[in-house]
Amino acid sequence: MPSRARRRRGAGRDAKRAARQQATVEISAWADRRIPYFEVLDEEALQLIEHNADTVLEEVGIEFRDFPRALQLWKEAGADVDGERVRFPRGLCRSIIQASAPAEFKQHARNPERTTIIGGDRTVFVPAYGSPFVRNLDEGRRYATIEDFRNFVKLAYMSAGLHHSGGTICEPVDVPVNKRHFDMVYSHIKYSDKPFMGSVTHPERAQDTVDMAKIVFGEDFVAENTVITSLINANSPLTFDETMLGSATVYAENNQATVISPFLLAGAMSPVTVAGTVTQILAEALAGIAYTQLVRPGAPVVFGTFAAAVSMQSGAPTFGTPEPSLILYAAGALARRLGVPFRSGGGLCASKIPDAQAAYESANTMQTGVLGGVNFMLHAAGWLEGGLARGYEKYIMDADQASALGALLRGVDLSENGQALDAIREVGPGQHFLGAAHTQANFEHAFYRSNIADNNSFEQWEQAGSLDAAQRANAIWKQMLKDYEAPPLDAAIDEALVEFVDRRKSEFEDRDY
Amino acid sequence: MTDENDIADDEEDIVLSELSDDELVEQMHDDLYDGMKDEIVEGTSILLERGWSAEKVLNVSLVEGMRIVGVDFRDGILFVPEVLLAANAMKGGMGLLRPLLAETGVKPIGKMVIGTVKGDIHDIGKNLVAMMMEGGGFEVIDIGINNAVEDYMQALEEHQPDILGMSALLTTTMPYMKVVIDEMVSQRVRDDYIVLVGGAPLNEEFGLAVGADGYCRDAAQSADMGPAMIRDRRALEVADA
Repeated sequence: MPSRARRRRGAGRDAKRAARQQATVEISAWADRRIPYFEVLDEEALQLIEHNADTVLEEVGIEFRDFPRALQLWKEAGADVDGERVRFPRGLCRSIIQASAPAEFKQHARNPERTTIIGGDRTVFVPAYGSPFVRNLDEGRRYATIEDFRNFVKLAYMSAGLHHSGGTICEPVDVPVNKRHFDMVYSHIKYSDKPFMGSVTHPERAQDTVDMAKIVFGEDFVAENTVITSLINANSPLTFDETMLGSATVYAENNQATVISPFLLAGAMSPVTVAGTVTQILAEALAGIAYTQLVRPGAPVVFGTFAAAVSMQSGAPTFGTPEPSLILYAAGALARRLGVPFRSGGGLCASKIPDAQAAYESANTMQTGVLGGVNFMLHAAGWLEGGLARGYEKYIMDADQASALGALLRGVDLSENGQALDAIREVGPGQHFLGAAHTQANFEHAFYRSNIADNNSFEQWEQAGSLDAAQRANAIWKQMLKDYEAPPLDAAIDEALVEFVDRRKSEFEDRDY
Repeated sequence: MTDENDIADDEEDIVLSELSDDELVEQMHDDLYDGMKDEIVEGTSILLERGWSAEKVLNVSLVEGMRIVGVDFRDGILFVPEVLLAANAMKGGMGLLRPLLAETGVKPIGKMVIGTVKGDIHDIGKNLVAMMMEGGGFEVIDIGINNAVEDYMQALEEHQPDILGMSALLTTTMPYMKVVIDEMVSQRVRDDYIVLVGGAPLNEEFGLAVGADGYCRDAAQSADMGPAMIRDRRALEVADA
């Protein structure tokens, strides 16, 4: 019998196992969007909100507290400055922004493959930010440490669904307040090669962040390029404070990006209505974003929105409820009309543990964020308890959701292969598609596969210990930390960073404020 | 990407007939894994030409190869369409071996009649079971969907299988399994067969209640359970004799 087979040596089991295990480490620096935006307001309604925001800026104004430089810049720009209150002629902020703020910008990562673009038809998923506590199934709830911080950096580095290393993922309360930023920024650089966020708790700390970035990327490179994106919250209602303005100024001067975020708990920090809250968000965002352009025209800046509703029974923030979803959809549309990238969303919830409440609320806010056109989705992973706790298990569950939503954003494949007429012809009525040539060619990447969901039979699930999603996530994060390997970092850069941090830490006393 | 390229660079002709017995068996395990039917048929015939008994070819190259496929399917490495291809390749090899095995009086691994019960047209699960059983070297007679008790009885009579498999997706159709088994009892043929039942709304308790020998929660488990039950049964027969 003549042998006709050409075959590949190295196929078979070993090759498949290797390929399947490799396939999970797919690098992408953002999720592409090929689906439309979900709109809740028509043109007339959006114009009404814009008009009302201008009315707020003109009549009520915004306070720029304890920061004379901002008042000076506003005076020069033609605003009416009365004490610390700044009132803006109609259209002033919008025209300043539209003259120079970029519609999208590149944030460089130390690994060029992870360099991301914020804005346009893209979504970048970013870990949650700023919790004092951490929670996991083994230890319950406790204060976060720098070790937790490093763990979350490592987990984000290993999560394909997260494109960014984030910022203050959790507060390392075991490190003095005035020196935490060194350890946090160093951890982002050392344990990940994804883009990261800088310190905003003091202008000096913002400058330290920029200086550390210069060590990593080179002084000339940082002068010309954006390598840090940082979170600047408005002190809503209608106020920016010295700390935030100082940090925003440092970053803008250095051509580094800021996310100007009105932070509204509707009912307490803004009106109880959707339209009223959106109006206030737009007014605060316009003033804050325009300020960055006065500091340095062209400095990259993002329109942020963090909106939740307070419980009118207790005053506590609530999450995943319908009204803030409407606020997000409206704010996204306003940001697109303004022409700057949009930040909102995240896997937000009030639940203390990764239970059904957490999953429902987080799914609502994440999906709303994706449909509403969020470009920079801070708080995409790990959020529990209104942001007070970072959950290890929740982090893994959310990262899986971020990946899934990335697949949703890709939209519908209408290529010839996507249309699949050949498959329908091949199989015909009453048969199955599992063996069809089209299925054979496409099955591996046809459907999103969750690493959390259990789709087995009841009996298999029971035999595997009747685990719930959080218990499965518990095993996953532990395994990930076990498997973690640091991305290579040039030894000279590492040394220079450590030297910088040690020197700066020795220049002043530890302080807890 | 790099990995794929590496594999492509390693590509080279392998002439099956030039391989030693051990190399050929190993290659056949890989080819089964990759679902290459023509190559499996060729490898099977080469081993037979070299004087291997059909039973040895079956056990050493095919059954062992499919055992590996089964393990990786269970572990989530292999996907359903790939197992389907592997089972199809196995079927190709079995086509050559089956007549030889019959001639030499070696007991075949097993024969199964399978179909969904009356009123139920949902057959994806049944097809998966058939595929896994064929992959395990079984001869599978698939009588399709919506089978009345007479269809089952006729198929049993005609094919004399080791196993009767019945499946249902609906709570409204699953009780029909008992109708079939009761009929087997009344015709005094119930004990001639192993009866396995499966389908999403079933469980172990239901399987026992309708008088089946086993409930299979999924296709992979059927492929483990079927042969094991046949082995036990044959061992009993030997003991009785």
